[in-house]
Amino acid sequence: MTYSNKEINRLTPTNEDTVGPYYPPSLCENNNSLDMTNIRSGIVFKPLGEKITIKGCVKDIDGKLSNGCLLEFWQPNSQGFYYRPDTESHEMVDPWFTGYARHRTKDGNFSLTTIKPGVADGRAPNITVTLFSDGIMRLVTQLFFADEKSNSDDPLLLSIPEELRERLMINKVAHNEYEIEIIMAGNNETPFFDDLLS
Amino acid sequence: MTKYGRQLGIGPTDNTSNERTPRNKLNLIPEAARTSFVPYAPRAHSINLAEADMTRIAPGRPRASGEAIKVSGKLMDEYGRPIRNALIEIWNANQHGGYTHDEDHSGLPIDQNFLGIGRTLSSSDGNYEFWTIKPGAYLARPDIGRWRPPHIHVSIIGGSSRLISQMYFPNDPHNAKDPMRILMGDSFEANIGKKYIVTDGDFDCGYNFDIIIGGKNPTFFENNIT
Repeated sequence: MTYSNKEINRLTPTNEDTVGPYYPPSLCENNNSLDMTNIRSGIVFKPLGEKITIKGCVKDIDGKLSNGCLLEFWQPNSQGFYYRPDTESHEMVDPWFTGYARHRTKDGNFSLTTIKPGVADGRAPNITVTLFSDGIMRLVTQLFFADEKSNSDDPLLLSIPEELRERLMINKVAHNEYEIEIIMAGNNETPFFDDLLS
Repeated sequence: MTKYGRQLGIGPTDNTSNERTPRNKLNLIPEAARTSFVPYAPRAHSINLAEADMTRIAPGRPRASGEAIKVSGKLMDEYGRPIRNALIEIWNANQHGGYTHDEDHSGLPIDQNFLGIGRTLSSSDGNYEFWTIKPGAYLARPDIGRWRPPHIHVSIIGGSSRLISQMYFPNDPHNAKDPMRILMGDSFEANIGKKYIVTDGDFDCGYNFDIIIGGKNPTFFENNIT
């Protein structure tokens, strides 16, 4: 099913379409590295907070790694503030952390170096993921940290059935090292969200 | 209590779509979490104007072979408000249907004068224009004789606006069986470029492709600030 608004006097949106298999990797910034902690290289300023690495992968319905996916990450800084037009002059914004990175994974694996997000607006710490792949339209979801107590009060986690919540959990595997599997379809499918109808 | 949004469709005859399309319905985002689903890409784009001309690899280099076309239009949200200064990325196959991507193993001919990758920014009115070579169709499923119709990939990143789509060409015989076109149904019309005559320069023709980005995200902060 495609998205269309039902209101008159609105323009018909252009349909989203698959990114296909050949998104040019060279179009991603920073030579395709996935490091949010180094937005301006070669200077002494670094973002505040706990530097972490999240090793992840994207899999299909057969459990195979999904090659050629374009991944985009979005998160608040260590104090829970997003770097946005309506917040950019706020003192809580970290000028050395935009919270945005994108990357095309050749084989389906990725490794995101970032700052552990803080608590924002009554939310548990989370990272928004936008996923583009051959064969599908854009998918969006949010990933959480399994060891956070605030997960039990998070409005997004509470909005989905309890048995699905663990599928959005990033698990700690060592000091400052985390892991996540994103499963696009089938058993243990990752819950995805609808930002066109929401 | 879960509230559900769209059920995404599986593109017919598209194996990858079958392997990768979520089987569960998408979940609606509760209001308390809505703003967090509006990524804001920093404006770090540094664009060379020549990147909008994909008919040559660099200014002064030989022209790529095939039909040179202009593609132009306006970038807007559902209310017709322009999306300004957005990064528009374009990639398309050459006239034979081949890509320069090192993962394209189709064996289709490569044109040494055609990169097939371009970028531009929308203007303060939301308008954009780029020049390219009309892409060829290619046989995507030789086993069942299913082709991919000629298409130009576009990616829009502009503040909180995000869209990846494709522009198709009017009256192409391969359009009808394209898996994603089938999923789009009648709304496929919105993804077809409208042909126009070009009198300046050496172009075969032009295609008008207005791009409307749906949902609340495109001008989310503009709406909430003013």
